[in-house]
Amino acid sequence: MTRSNLRSYSMLGALVLMGLVSALLTGGVFVRPDNLMNLAVQVSVNGVLAVGMTLIIMTGGIDLGVGSMLALIGVAAAKVFGLGGGAVAAIVVALAAGLLVGAWNGFFLTRLGLPPFIVTLGTMTIARGLALVMSEERALPIVNHAFYQLGNANVPRVAALAALGLMAAYGLWTHLRSANRNWLHLALTLAGLALAGWVLGDPSVEGLPMTVVIFAVVAAAGSFVLNRSRFGRHLRAIGGNASAAALSGINVRRTLFLDYALMGLLAAVAALLLASRLASGVPTAGNMAELDAIAAVVIGGTSLAGGSGTVGGTLVGAFIIGLLNNVLVLMNVQSNFQYIIKGLIIMGAVLLDVRKK
Amino acid sequence: MSLLEMAEISKEFPGVLALERVSVSAERGEVLALLGENGAGKSTLVKILSGVYPYPEYGGEIRIGGRVCRFRGTRDAVEAGVTIIHQELNLVPQFSVAENIFLGREPARRGAIDQAAMEREAAAILARMRVELDPRTPVYQLSVGQQQLVEIAKALSLQARILIMDEPTSALAQSEVLHLFDLIRNLRRDGVTIIYISHKLEEIFALADRVTVLRDGQYVGTRSVAEASRDELVSMMVGRELGELYPKAQAGLGEAVLEVEGLSAERPDRPGAFAVDGVSFQLHAGEVLGLAGLLGAGRTELALTLFGAWPGPCRGRVRIGGCEALPRSPREAIDAGLALVTEDRKLTGLVLGMGTGENVSLASLPDLSPLGVVDRRAEESLVRRYVQELRVKVSRLEQPVGTLSGGNQQKVVLAKWLATNPKVLILDEPTRGIDVGAKAEVYQIIGELAARGVAILMISSELPELLAMSDRILVMHQGRAAAVLDRVEATQERIMAYATGGV
Repeated sequence: MTRSNLRSYSMLGALVLMGLVSALLTGGVFVRPDNLMNLAVQVSVNGVLAVGMTLIIMTGGIDLGVGSMLALIGVAAAKVFGLGGGAVAAIVVALAAGLLVGAWNGFFLTRLGLPPFIVTLGTMTIARGLALVMSEERALPIVNHAFYQLGNANVPRVAALAALGLMAAYGLWTHLRSANRNWLHLALTLAGLALAGWVLGDPSVEGLPMTVVIFAVVAAAGSFVLNRSRFGRHLRAIGGNASAAALSGINVRRTLFLDYALMGLLAAVAALLLASRLASGVPTAGNMAELDAIAAVVIGGTSLAGGSGTVGGTLVGAFIIGLLNNVLVLMNVQSNFQYIIKGLIIMGAVLLDVRKK
Repeated sequence: MSLLEMAEISKEFPGVLALERVSVSAERGEVLALLGENGAGKSTLVKILSGVYPYPEYGGEIRIGGRVCRFRGTRDAVEAGVTIIHQELNLVPQFSVAENIFLGREPARRGAIDQAAMEREAAAILARMRVELDPRTPVYQLSVGQQQLVEIAKALSLQARILIMDEPTSALAQSEVLHLFDLIRNLRRDGVTIIYISHKLEEIFALADRVTVLRDGQYVGTRSVAEASRDELVSMMVGRELGELYPKAQAGLGEAVLEVEGLSAERPDRPGAFAVDGVSFQLHAGEVLGLAGLLGAGRTELALTLFGAWPGPCRGRVRIGGCEALPRSPREAIDAGLALVTEDRKLTGLVLGMGTGENVSLASLPDLSPLGVVDRRAEESLVRRYVQELRVKVSRLEQPVGTLSGGNQQKVVLAKWLATNPKVLILDEPTRGIDVGAKAEVYQIIGELAARGVAILMISSELPELLAMSDRILVMHQGRAAAVLDRVEATQERIMAYATGGV
């Protein structure tokens, strides 16, 4: 078991503990199936950003622009509808816009040699400004049934439960086939699926929201890319030691360019989910969303210096932040205090980890 | 009683006993040389003396002027009068000479730094050293030799009684070396004790009063330089017949696999200045071509240029195998059949936080992931093959490579490159910083590879190693090829003569 694995397990323990405390503090409301499903939906947008951010921070980089990109791309999608386009056109334009902004970051970073912090700080401001200009500082409503379905439709209960069953079977199969069997990992996977099954089986839940499905697909793809693909291996090598990576034949510039473009694409996915749920393109949306995404990644054990981390850890981090948002609202904590409590808990979580080393 | 006594000093690193009950003493106003090969424990010993490895991380006792010293850090050592000048200089390039000398203890008046007083005192110290240097000059404008003088000035301003110099001449020009020696003799006359680390015998004979020899972390003996002979010191240092250590057999030369003609590399920071200047040579299958030269002669730069990794403009005709092209990137070089073991494995060779297996396969990933997804079975079998072949000692392939010993790390770098099945293997200081046992293994691996027909270009600053391993030796001087010497005609003296431009 590697150190980063250990870290995600200990943070998972913290998440469970926080869940139990939340259940007590809210008189059980927090653990009601409909609230848990609600939590999963709330986490999705930040979760998609955080998966992308994991692949960025893995290289020792950062992307401060993703919050503004949520707004810009949401507004761009709304504009497509305003010009008479349909859902498909809006989605294509949004994804293309995300790729373009990501490529813009990548260009300044890899061709002109500016540090990621500066490049994306600039992009953050530019994208926010563009969103405000394009929308004339107003939320642009989106009236389109197909687009609305993207974030709000539910996969029927039966189909979702069947999918969970398949995932459990797959988990068991890979476990039995694997040479070094990780029982803890298997137990946690099955427990997680059982929890999801319990939530889905409850009559208060209509089905599995598409938002959560898309989030899950992004997370699974991100994990696959990081662990199994050559691209993911290159990202980790670059974050660990960029000169050694370059001298081992890795095209560092191209890899980083693609990485930031991918982050842009994922920001577009998150923006589409958000716009669909809000049924509008909001130029002030996603304010400080980049910080939630970065916090999720760091809580999840990815080193800010690069080189190590897991998507699984980031998911735990995203749920810890989502849980805080959810519970503080349930408990009617004033939003100004929410900021303070969230900040303290983020620092505490990372402090625990630093002290362990 | 001696001014300095280090008694029975031991120091252990994970997996390595770096020093084993070593005792050394030095008198007031004496130059004591510490002699030994790389990895003998010289640097470790002086790092203990200067508080870099604090008490109680070592065993044994340090006494200065009869009093037991237990340094908790370098600050304690400085207060006791012990100052070290490291191989890598510790100066702030943007600061002036005076600011560097008084860094951290700037003379102040009413809370503000008294710039004038600082410059006055710095000038006084430099004058005492008979060094002509303006205290207001920013350090980045100085040569390495001048920067070293600043370090010495800093040590003197700290009232150093014991001054340790770790390989101080490794980056100096000949004239700077002579100046440094004069300065050291003056310091000795003033009663300063100097501990001088080197593996260069000439310097020791020119400078030292006594010499203490270390080998593999153990004390071998101390001799008065006046009575010691060169051969005696060498055998104390090496401790074995050279033949045992170097298994390279004279090769029957194969065809030329690497032909280089007029290779030049321009410095990116100084247009018009060439790090490599019109070098031509041929390298044959099964041959070990040694590459000798002083620091800065352009050897590493030549390797980087051939490997497509030189940051500046370069030109020249290069033929690798049958294919004519100067690689434009490491990937192109690897695909053409080149491999480069860089001189600093931690900085440019390994991804220390990654697993051993992942480091071994790093340069072979394109072959292991034709569709972009790494074939983990193929990867594991490739990694296992080379880990076994090179006898890398790891508990499991996931073990982070940063936790391995220096010798094992070097074998991981070699495994990474052998896994790419190279035709030409470039080795830049392949035995730097590894212990003698691991060295012997590396030599054996090089010998085996050559016997298998791999062409090897080996850069080394250790002449005995170069002389024993090479079929021919290319000597570089200021970016140019000064000479190519055959195995039979090469001697340390001839190589040094060409390397210093004396021929």
